[in-house]
Amino acid sequence: MITLKNIWKEYPIDGEELFVALRDVSVTIERGEFSSLIGPSGSGKSTLMHLIGLLDKPTRGDILIEGKNILEYNDDEISSLRNEFVGFVFQQFNLINKLTVLENILLPTTYTRKKLSYNPTQKAMEIMERFGIASKAKSYPNRISGGQQQRVAIARALIMSPSLILADEPTGNLDTKTGKEIMKLLAQLNREDTITVLIVTHEKDIAAQTKRKIEIVDGRII
Amino acid sequence: MGFIESAFFDFSRNKGRTFLTSLGILIGVLAVVLLTAFGLGLKASIEQQFEDLGTNLIRVVPGQILKDGNFSNSSSAFTSIEFDEKDIQKLSRIREIENTVPIFSKSIIVTVGNKKEISTLYASTAGIFTALNVNADFGKLFTESDVNKRSSVVVIGPNLAEDLFLSAKQAIGKSVTIEGQKYVVIGVTNKKGGGFGGGPDFDSFIYMPYKTAYTFNTNKTFMAIILQTKTDEEIKPVIGQAEDILLKRYEEEEFSIIQQEELLSAINSIFAMINTVLVAIAAISLIVGGIGIMNIMYVTVTERIKEIGIRRALGARKSDILIQFLVASIILSLIGGLAGLGLSAVIVFFIKPYFPAYIDLNSVLLALGVSSAIGIIFGVFPAKKAADLSPIDAIRYE
Repeated sequence: MITLKNIWKEYPIDGEELFVALRDVSVTIERGEFSSLIGPSGSGKSTLMHLIGLLDKPTRGDILIEGKNILEYNDDEISSLRNEFVGFVFQQFNLINKLTVLENILLPTTYTRKKLSYNPTQKAMEIMERFGIASKAKSYPNRISGGQQQRVAIARALIMSPSLILADEPTGNLDTKTGKEIMKLLAQLNREDTITVLIVTHEKDIAAQTKRKIEIVDGRII
Repeated sequence: MGFIESAFFDFSRNKGRTFLTSLGILIGVLAVVLLTAFGLGLKASIEQQFEDLGTNLIRVVPGQILKDGNFSNSSSAFTSIEFDEKDIQKLSRIREIENTVPIFSKSIIVTVGNKKEISTLYASTAGIFTALNVNADFGKLFTESDVNKRSSVVVIGPNLAEDLFLSAKQAIGKSVTIEGQKYVVIGVTNKKGGGFGGGPDFDSFIYMPYKTAYTFNTNKTFMAIILQTKTDEEIKPVIGQAEDILLKRYEEEEFSIIQQEELLSAINSIFAMINTVLVAIAAISLIVGGIGIMNIMYVTVTERIKEIGIRRALGARKSDILIQFLVASIILSLIGGLAGLGLSAVIVFFIKPYFPAYIDLNSVLLALGVSSAIGIIFGVFPAKKAADLSPIDAIRYE
């Protein structure tokens, strides 16, 4: 579904020296996989996640989605792909506090250029029902618990029916019990809805819950 | 939540900041709209004064006052020829002329007992009342026979009458002293208003038969002659004939023959120019207001970098972000513009009894158009900055 081929990512430091974040990385994620990207901090896993999430472009190498090289796309096309193809779940939840829970979940639908085959509000209500947060629809994110906020974030990631859910340390800001619930939810989405899920983490026991582990150290996949 | 609601939400959270930022635009719009309102009011008031005068008037004056429809500033503007009775007689022979009115005017001090007032004396024929469209509210106007008999009578304006005699009615039959001579007040004219913008203040004039005024006017000369025709169509031929008559005695540049409309349009063009300059100066404050908006929009963009990053990660295009911030800046500017317009309307409402002023549709459209334009012009750079943020840097921003 998404293939990264011979990816290099370099950043200039102090204008002269180059910091190499990713060295010749090649990886393919197949449809329906439940995998984790694991590595210590500074290993380049965040950089790799940003590339997979279409938030950034590599210095060299190709990124293919369904066989198409997306590095040839312009900014608007990549924005639309981000809107429709990927759903993000962040460690910090990254909800917009001035919008209600429902408005947050619906936010991606306001940026889509394609005609949706479903009623967005209705779909949002169904997801919230399923996640047990329907009663919070009119609440503001800073008025609900961390676990609930992360459920809202997952609901927001799901609203556009993406092919891939990209979860960056999704349990990092939650207590162990709530973290487990969120992991269960992600596993359930993969199993029941056959959504491809990639979890980025530095915790071994989180990675252990996934079917495939992609390990990255010093900018290389091992 | 759309862009507009979103903008209002942000403004309601930062009320003080929104108020101060809009204040800049408010002051600018207020200044422009008020100055335009005063300009319009002044113009209307001058036009009204001209309208109040009799119709079909032609003025014969010394020098070249008007040149190509504007007031001349060449040295020939005020050559000191003066007309005399001979000119009046010759001009009055033109068949189409109904009323020939010589004018001798002088600033004088008029005294009654120990009360002194400065006034303008107009010495003329009885025809001056027809030409200036003046009637007597109390008493009567002087007649041709008063002129020929050199009667020691005057007709005075209502304001002057009140200043000297407490009421217009009490003035009738009393005498006033002008330069040592006593004159009986036989009439008080009706109120005409005026006096704005250097226009004549008819209500404080003194009218005197011109032959009586020869006491002051020892040369028996006149500063102007007003010719009144029966109809509009006769104005052109009368001007031609009057020119021929006067050219026999004077050089071409020594006198001017001016139609009422020409004078009005010349005065109007001067006021339009002054008003344009004033409005242009006021418009500078709008630019300052715009800079204030730009400043606060940059602050807003910085405060919301994280939000911009989230929106971009969820699929917002650069143009979506650009529009979001541009709408916010236009609304901010429009709030100021509308408030400025509202405040102008209130000020005009209260000032109207004392000064002619009004706000027309053009001022309203201009104020709204200009404030929207300022929102766009000064909002586009901050909005562009927001749109051009890298999504990855924005979302990691703390």
